[in-house]
Amino acid sequence: MLQNESQDIEAATATLQAQPDSKTRRYDRQLRLWAASGQAALEAARILVTSGSATSTSVLKNLVLPGIGHFTILDASTTAPADAGNNFFLNADASIGKPRAAEAVPLLRELNDSVDGVADVRDLAALLDTPEGRQFVAGFSLVIAHNLPKTTVEKLADLLWQDPLYPPLMVVRSAGFLADFYIQFHEHCVIESHSETAPALRLTKPFPALQAWADSTDYDTLDPTEHAHIPFVIILIKEADKWRAEHNGALPKAYAEQKAFKAAVLARQKKLDEENFEEAEAQAVRLWTEKGVPSDVQALLDLPALAPDASPNVAFHALLQTLRAFVSDPAGPGTLPLTATLPDMKTDTESYVRLQWQYKEQARVENVRFKELLRATHPDVSIDDALADAFVKNAHHIKLLRGRPFGAFARDAAALASALDMAPKETLTHLGLNALSAVLERSAEVTPEALTAEIQAAVGAGVVLPEDELENVVEELARAPTADLPNTAAFLGGMLAQEAIKMVTKQYVPVNGYCVVDLIGSTTGVVGAV
Amino acid sequence: MATTTISNGAAIAQDWPGRYYHVDQVLDRPGPRTDESFLAGEGVKDFLRNKCKILVIGAGGLGCEILANLALSGFKDIHVIDMDTIDISNLNRQFLFRPKDVGKPKATVAAAFIMSRVPGVKVTPYYGKIQDKDDDYYLQFNLVICGLDSVEARRWINATLVNLVDPENPESLKPLIDGGTEGFKGQARVILPTISSCYECSLDMLNKPTAFPICTIANTPRLPEHCIEWASVLEWPRVHGDKKLDTDDPEHIGWLYKIASARAQEFKIEGVTWSLTQGVVKNIIPAIASTNAIIAASCCNEAFKIATSSAAYLNNYFMLIGTDGVYSFTFEHEKRADCPVCGGEAVDMTISKELTVDKFIETLIERQDIQIKKPSLSSGSKHIYFQAPQQLEEATRPNLEKTVSELVDDGGEITVTASSLPFSLSLRIHYS
Ligand SMILES: [Zn+2]
Repeated sequence: MLQNESQDIEAATATLQAQPDSKTRRYDRQLRLWAASGQAALEAARILVTSGSATSTSVLKNLVLPGIGHFTILDASTTAPADAGNNFFLNADASIGKPRAAEAVPLLRELNDSVDGVADVRDLAALLDTPEGRQFVAGFSLVIAHNLPKTTVEKLADLLWQDPLYPPLMVVRSAGFLADFYIQFHEHCVIESHSETAPALRLTKPFPALQAWADSTDYDTLDPTEHAHIPFVIILIKEADKWRAEHNGALPKAYAEQKAFKAAVLARQKKLDEENFEEAEAQAVRLWTEKGVPSDVQALLDLPALAPDASPNVAFHALLQTLRAFVSDPAGPGTLPLTATLPDMKTDTESYVRLQWQYKEQARVENVRFKELLRATHPDVSIDDALADAFVKNAHHIKLLRGRPFGAFARDAAALASALDMAPKETLTHLGLNALSAVLERSAEVTPEALTAEIQAAVGAGVVLPEDELENVVEELARAPTADLPNTAAFLGGMLAQEAIKMVTKQYVPVNGYCVVDLIGSTTGVVGAV
Repeated sequence: MATTTISNGAAIAQDWPGRYYHVDQVLDRPGPRTDESFLAGEGVKDFLRNKCKILVIGAGGLGCEILANLALSGFKDIHVIDMDTIDISNLNRQFLFRPKDVGKPKATVAAAFIMSRVPGVKVTPYYGKIQDKDDDYYLQFNLVICGLDSVEARRWINATLVNLVDPENPESLKPLIDGGTEGFKGQARVILPTISSCYECSLDMLNKPTAFPICTIANTPRLPEHCIEWASVLEWPRVHGDKKLDTDDPEHIGWLYKIASARAQEFKIEGVTWSLTQGVVKNIIPAIASTNAIIAASCCNEAFKIATSSAAYLNNYFMLIGTDGVYSFTFEHEKRADCPVCGGEAVDMTISKELTVDKFIETLIERQDIQIKKPSLSSGSKHIYFQAPQQLEEATRPNLEKTVSELVDDGGEITVTASSLPFSLSLRIHYS
């Protein structure tokens, strides 16, 4: 390398980052998914798990490894020979007779030095009967409950539903190859959903700088190299303008029109292999699919607010209302705020960088306008800039889920009837697991007949249940009513941990409804969503 | 590299009463979806715990989980192969490893951990490549589970197990269970070599790896990735000559990062970071414990059901997407009649009469359903082009300029081979 060239590099790279520290290296493969913000949320999380079963420790393993802040295993039982056989986080037969929570905690903690873990050998049912106990349970950021007795899980769910500020509850039930799980929350808001759909490029409503660029581009005065490097964004804006001028201001609608439009784009090529025009043809679909406000975001804008003061999502709702104001602002673009992220395109460096700069600049202007609206409409809500920036940047992908209390689905006759029709296998498995809890609660023998009777009572005597599916469910449950199989436990451990991570980081989208797992057919399905 | 068998003191210990309380519930009686061939009770337990021999390929993210699940399910004779050593970035998910194990072979450490935690289970590690082992080695197992991140290794084991099938000997058919993950997504599948769709049959389902054209990298960089590729593909060999780029060496990554940053600055491109540099040059795929747990559990669950016949097994593909709710899709992937490994029929290919051998090879490399890096071509006894040995390469090199139609008749077959693959591909050529 030449002397001055290497000096240039030194100067240009004076602000380089050093090699990442050991924590970043350890977490590298997950930071690529949820970044430092998600990691910080995980590290702040305090998770209560209400048993030391194989399923429970499997969930915890998958939360300790990525580095949650704290976990407590609440379990009053001693290790049985059966636990020593199916649970990887016990010291095999050496743990038999010792408190299960205390045996499991050190083996989980050794997976990650930075995680704090506590064994609590008090009885959950007793705790739920005292104000101090209830306060203790409600003080965590997330509660996970596997195969609790029916009355205990109902009490726990009732308690945690009482206040939207109480932690979400994940209820998981399993028997042999069958299982289901549910996340109880009032409302869950996601800014970073990591949706893979591309944000709008404003091709049908270009901002002034973009329109000016398109207007000043004259195909005929460009040399062949320049012509082959016009970004597809500019080509499409020009062609759309031309089309509108010739079609009373309308864009191509019918399939034949769209085809004609694409042909017109391709006909602009001066040589056969101008890739930018081929790209413009392929991207033309954006002209008739891109919306100023995508329909799922529009649905959120139209959503009536929950009692906002009591919501832990005050900031999100303030941002949502501001978004509504931004979209209807007569001085604004009438769309969601622009996202600065550009896809790669066939063009030269200079045009691409210039285009990127224009999108960035426009996004900055709209971001400033959004924040003005936010301050004007919500002077009392404190929202830091980083949160508002993230919201504006992800406005195309925001999500809001509303939930119901655990068990509400099974009491909703209309929802059940429709679910039995749409997803009989999953619905019956869910009802079967409800029935199993009920039969086990009264210490009766678990037989297909007993389970069928419970299910029939739950749906109402007059409802006809699909015979084959019913038989498959009740016979399989009666075969292994108390089996916490190692593979089922590991499968659920992964599923629940994925969902817990989504709940805690508020990134990606957690499941809404009862996720039913059948490890014979190797299927999952969701029923009972709101 | 030697095979080490670590014998475990507790291995001889008797199973304690109640140890298999959970698993026995599904082994003592059939369910409504259990095949008639199921031998409930002692017969199936004896086979699982005393006779069944299972091979796990990979002791990484999936492998660690697979070993633990198999051990708890009652498999007692487990073998594991892995050629890697432990890196600090494995510790966020490969839960049998601790910081003190960094640098040690994964297979050995994982095997020792399982044996110390689950009494009576024998895990035999092999620190090396799957290609080191011959047919006799693979024939000793009842089942093979694969938790690999390499497409090439999977194609190799898949082809090996398909070739192993001897119609006269039912024991020669080794079910292959394969898992893979990426971020919150993953898949598990059951392959019955020669009977169901094989790994090769579904090659076109893989995401096409992002490849940046050299002219973009050299002349019109737009993305930070283009600058990083410039540093690693063009600048590294130019500056360092024959010195090989070691993507695990922080100094090498540091150099690439510096060069890429300078280029980015020159072109006013934003976004070159250390992490992105490493991600691009190592082709890093995000990986988390929970997704590995799901997919490994699914693989082991299928292994357990196949080994015991206690319930129907997956037919034959389970795909999970956990980014937006929980979405999964279970389906039967169809066998391809022209699969080069299990199909037997030649792949039909129509090409221009003017196409040169050189361009024809380029076309082959780009085809998603073929995915071959350095193909050698022959037609009948005629050599068209050979990548190696050197003499043969030199002798056949002049053919690169010729058109395929000069060398092969319409309807003729070309046999394609590559050193990385244990099978050959037959193409039937037609001219347009
Ligand atoms: Zn095949």
